[in-house]
Amino acid sequence: MFAYAASLLAQVTLEPFNRPAIDWHAVAPELVLLAAGALITIIDLVGLERVRKLMPTLTSFAFLAALIPVLTLWSQEDELPRSLFDGAYVVDRYSLVLKGLFLLTGYVIALLSTNYMSEGDYYDSEFYQLIAASILGMLVMSSSRDLISIFVALELISIPAYLMAAWRKRDLRSNEAGLKYMLMGVFASAILLYGMSLLYGLAGSTKLVDIAAALSIGESKPLITLAIVFSVIGFGFKVSAVPFHTWAPDTYEGAPTPLTAFLAVASKAAGFVALMNVVIVAFPGQSDVVEPLMAVLAGVTMTVGNLIALRQTNLVRMLAYSGVAQAGYIMAPLAVYGTNVDRVPSAMVTYLVIYAAMNLGAFAVVIIAARKTGSAEISSYGGMFGYAPGLTLAMTMFLFSLAGIPPAGGWWAKFELFRVLTDGNRYLGIMLAIVLAVNSVIAAVYYLNITRQMWFLPTPDGDTSRIVTPPALQVALALTLLVTIVSGILPGLVSDISGSLQLALP
Amino acid sequence: MFLNQFLFFAAILFSIGVYGVLTRKNGVLVLMSIELILNAVNINLVAFGALHQDISGQVFVLFVIAVAAAEVGVGLAIVLLIFRNRRSINVAEADLLKG
Amino acid sequence: MNLGSGALGEIASRAVSDYSNFLREYLIVGLFGVLAFATVATFIGLARVFRPDRPTAAKIENYESGVDPVGDGWSQSQIRYYIFALLFVMFDVEAVFIFPWAVGLEQFGVFGLVEMVIFIFILALGLAYAWRKGVLRWV
Repeated sequence: MFAYAASLLAQVTLEPFNRPAIDWHAVAPELVLLAAGALITIIDLVGLERVRKLMPTLTSFAFLAALIPVLTLWSQEDELPRSLFDGAYVVDRYSLVLKGLFLLTGYVIALLSTNYMSEGDYYDSEFYQLIAASILGMLVMSSSRDLISIFVALELISIPAYLMAAWRKRDLRSNEAGLKYMLMGVFASAILLYGMSLLYGLAGSTKLVDIAAALSIGESKPLITLAIVFSVIGFGFKVSAVPFHTWAPDTYEGAPTPLTAFLAVASKAAGFVALMNVVIVAFPGQSDVVEPLMAVLAGVTMTVGNLIALRQTNLVRMLAYSGVAQAGYIMAPLAVYGTNVDRVPSAMVTYLVIYAAMNLGAFAVVIIAARKTGSAEISSYGGMFGYAPGLTLAMTMFLFSLAGIPPAGGWWAKFELFRVLTDGNRYLGIMLAIVLAVNSVIAAVYYLNITRQMWFLPTPDGDTSRIVTPPALQVALALTLLVTIVSGILPGLVSDISGSLQLALP
Repeated sequence: MFLNQFLFFAAILFSIGVYGVLTRKNGVLVLMSIELILNAVNINLVAFGALHQDISGQVFVLFVIAVAAAEVGVGLAIVLLIFRNRRSINVAEADLLKG
Repeated sequence: MNLGSGALGEIASRAVSDYSNFLREYLIVGLFGVLAFATVATFIGLARVFRPDRPTAAKIENYESGVDPVGDGWSQSQIRYYIFALLFVMFDVEAVFIFPWAVGLEQFGVFGLVEMVIFIFILALGLAYAWRKGVLRWV
């Protein structure tokens, strides 16, 4: 036994260890956020109750501080893409856009949580630390080109989210939201891991590029198919694609509303980023398996999501099902990635950016309105134009955007999807474009129903006192509204940033 | 190297785990079934790593073990929270929210 | 699952002769198991043949140090220290990242040391958190 251990030790010492060269600038956003998160934890531990009020501000600053290296990396465009750790971690324009998106989303979530958390009887310091940890996972995810780092990033995103979903400790509904999300999420990542282990077995390497090379030899096709299906199921849970969506409405309704916004926007976007990284980098030659799978998933997801959303009476639940449908839209370009791979990342990232703005905005309005009405029932929004015209206008804009009606940004996002789908006259793409068009009409019905409620119907309880919006929520509302409107009126600005994105190969 | 026996063993463990997750009503037992799946993954990774003479499979296993511990820690905390509030960890009884 | 074809299959078929040697080694384990089972079965069987058999209700009752048993066997135990168990699991498992470093301690040199100090600092932050928030107090 000892002889064996000694022989192992001898083997190890034979190989000289070369210190890996690390491009510190390229990983600066992650390091800044990590350091800031650790600092916030230390401040919390030293100050306890005295620093509680500071936590949201500190966390917002952490996100903005991490945004600085993202911008400096973006400004040195000729040095991109930067490849680290033997190609397992790549910083390119694609990942920088996503990092910016995740950091700004985190900032808006911190703003949305400020009043919600301090007014309820919650442990709020930890909430912000967990948000920062989860956003850190998303930053890592957008650069990951390796199974291990994708897995670790996915778990870093999810595990804090399980805790935050159950944050209202005494509320059975929140407990239940956390339990369902946790069990489903853990199960999904276990299945994903099994798929990953098969991929590793086929390639003998965890790097996505090596996996692509090994799969393209085309041996053991049944095993490849199995590995792909397991991986897609795992990511399908994270992005709440039908039939893996069952956790989403329950968790969205039961969890604290800022966390719901976080799950609906940031967590879902991260799931799509993982899906894009794996599908585009690791499965470029497997479009005969992946494309039909994606087409069916996308078509079923948007149709089922929209049809169930039609029947909802609770706005948060309706937004949950509409989020399921939107996941179907975002997934659609992956059904034609075999021929249009140049344009798929741009279309999906554009949609993710605009979706983040409009959905966060809608949740901001829900949080503001709930401060007065104490309810998220759609009927409680009746006659809101009479006493809160500004809020009604903003909500109308977000709903128009979600429905894809100009001038709000959603139309441009959908337009990009149609362009990718119909490009190249693929049968699958055209069919999916038709399904998408029909679904947009169905979705418009329930989005516009809320608008009608707010503008034309009477207030249910006759209470027409003004709504007081705290400053943090005002900033969040202004930021999301600005992005939603500007992206709709000047789509060129968005496509300057998120157009022609490619996943750089190491 | 005898790859097949490891793969079959892992596949059987995986199937038992999935069966457990789908049929068990007790939150703790669901978590235990998920551990079975993760162990199946670990066996797969180590077997493949030995097959390819590649260390990254074992590195992956270390990460799976560590993350699984974190998952179970959080999972048990949530299950205990539910137990404290309703004196039961039956997953089927958690039905306040209807999909 | 068609695991036998392709590159994996080739390696598998090369290993067939090794495989039977491997199984032969396990034959000893199998024989040992059979022998153990047979021994126990023989003794219990002999005892059953020779002993008198007169079952009564008192004989099959649970034995609790001579006192009459109270309650049923499925009572729940106290879980007030579960937080310690959770913390133990976390820190115990994080050690898997320290072992590979310990094996190559001299080679990794200062670089490895700095990396490990950062890693342990973050872990220690978790422990400090638990301590400061009063989780480690006995309730």
